Amino acid sequence: MPESQAVTIVMIEDDEGHARLIQKNLQRAGISNAVRHFTDGTTALAYLFDPADGPTVAGPALLLLDLNLPDMSGIDILAKIKGDERLHRTPVVVLTTTDDQREIDRCYDLGANVYITKPVNYENFADAIRQLGLFLSVIKVPEAGA
Amino acid sequence: MSERAAPAEGAVSAPVAESSGAGVRRIGGIITALIAVGLLALLAGGALAITALRAGEAQAELVRHTRDVEALIASIGIQVERSEGARRGYLIQRDPRFRDSWDLAVRRLADELPRLEALVGDNERQAERARALGAMVSDLQQIDRQSMAAIDMGLVQQALSAFASDRSADLLRSIRALRLEMADVEARLLELRDRERIETLNSSYAILAFCALLVLAIIAATILVIRRYTAELARSRDSLHRLNTDLEGVVGERTNELQRANDEIQRFAYIVSHDLRSPLVNVMGFTAELESARQPLENLVAAVEVRAPDLITPEVRLAVAEDLPEAVRFIRASTEKMDRLINAILKLSRDGRRALAIEKLAMSAVVEAAADALRHPIDDAGGELVVDKLPDIISDRVSIEQIFSNLIENAVKYRKPERPLRIQVSGRVAGQRAIFEIADNGRGIDPKDHERVFDLFRRSGTQDQPGEGIGLAHVRTVVWRLGGSIELDSALDDGATFRLSLPLRLDVE
Repeated sequence: MPESQAVTIVMIEDDEGHARLIQKNLQRAGISNAVRHFTDGTTALAYLFDPADGPTVAGPALLLLDLNLPDMSGIDILAKIKGDERLHRTPVVVLTTTDDQREIDRCYDLGANVYITKPVNYENFADAIRQLGLFLSVIKVPEAGA
Repeated sequence: MSERAAPAEGAVSAPVAESSGAGVRRIGGIITALIAVGLLALLAGGALAITALRAGEAQAELVRHTRDVEALIASIGIQVERSEGARRGYLIQRDPRFRDSWDLAVRRLADELPRLEALVGDNERQAERARALGAMVSDLQQIDRQSMAAIDMGLVQQALSAFASDRSADLLRSIRALRLEMADVEARLLELRDRERIETLNSSYAILAFCALLVLAIIAATILVIRRYTAELARSRDSLHRLNTDLEGVVGERTNELQRANDEIQRFAYIVSHDLRSPLVNVMGFTAELESARQPLENLVAAVEVRAPDLITPEVRLAVAEDLPEAVRFIRASTEKMDRLINAILKLSRDGRRALAIEKLAMSAVVEAAADALRHPIDDAGGELVVDKLPDIISDRVSIEQIFSNLIENAVKYRKPERPLRIQVSGRVAGQRAIFEIADNGRGIDPKDHERVFDLFRRSGTQDQPGEGIGLAHVRTVVWRLGGSIELDSALDDGATFRLSLPLRLDVE
């Protein structure tokens, strides 16, 4: 198995439809990594910082993060990850409907690796996810805790 | 601050101003009345003083007249005594000097007696006495002449005996008595007139004193009223000042509230448009999924039709070939439209949140630049665009460019194909504002739609041009934000003129 196969994709997305569409398009792009889906920030954070099977212990992860979550802003999660010694190298892809320049700037300031706006046009959306899948298939993710 | 505060302050200040105005008018009336009374008193006093003076003069004249009469009476007495003395001397010594002395006295009497009669002519009884006196003097002179004539003829004895028996001594006594009586009457008259004069003088003094007192009282009252008036003025000035200060506070507060409300609306628009987008992503996404699911279905129907055609009912065929694609098409078109509308709202809200950068704008150049981007379609339409000399303003460049390019673009878009397009941009300064006009000769806008065209998503006229009805709504929002206003002057088929009123200098807190 190549190293990229071991990367767990952690998707924090409160909209079930969006999550389903993302998953489908990732599969179509040939991405077969394990996907952990969370619909709220609290349980996602619990998983991320849980030493038993979370990325802090069990291996590298890649985060797909929506900013509009019911219990907190995705920006808080981003700040927590980038501020954590064990997780700050984890690639974070912000995938959200918000296209406000200030939000985008803030995410990059906090250390987001990629910021993608969800296009309403489905073809564009599917394209974006597939390209993300291609991207995911080639990037190297640092080892957890390294 | 971009939004206008509705000027409701007039309603607040009006009652105060009105009541103090009434007070001021009332006091003004009182002062006028007091000054009028004072002037009248002075006039009356002056008139009385003049009357008193005239009366005094008349009385002085009368007194002098009386004194003249008295002097004349005395003089007549002396002349009578002298003439009598001269006759007697002549009788005794026959010296011609006595005769001359007698003649002199008689001449004087001839002068003085008529004068006395004339002087006392106003007093019937004194005049009677004067005439009696004259008659007696004349009698006496007659006797004198007879006796002196007798002496001249040498009839001395006869003259002397005549003297002893004639009435001259009686006449002389009567003359003396009458003279004294007349003098007495005149003296009494003088006393009376003197008393009258003093009385008149006293009453004049009293009137003058009263007038002086009145004037003093009026001056005192006027000073009092003016002081009260001044105090009231100061009070109303203070309250006006307070009110003005409060007003500034009130306006500031309102502006802040308005700004907060505006911010709230912008935030709301932003959140809503984002939250609306989310479900739209799903609708579009799963519609696409549906569409892609149709392909295998179609294949299946085709395969079944070959192997077991009786399984395919017309409904199945219709559903796969027409109903499904049609439903998907409509869902798509609607979602796309919805996306455009949401994007429009987003754009408006974003423009509203953009920070304004105030700078001096050479308006002719700014408008030319905005028009240049549209030269191509204008030239294609065989039209022309004229930009007059425009007044410069201090404002936000991006907003101004948005306004003008939107309006010029509209003029191009809604031209009347039958006539060559002509667009004219003109401007002038009116007080603290600049007025710009963008006039075209296009299809125009029905007057009933003049308000409507500025509303979001609302359009007017034949719908033959692409667009969502956002342009003018956007223009109006931007104009308002720049502290301006926009109005429209147009009739169907008769071109349109958009009139912008913008502050010459935009202040942003």
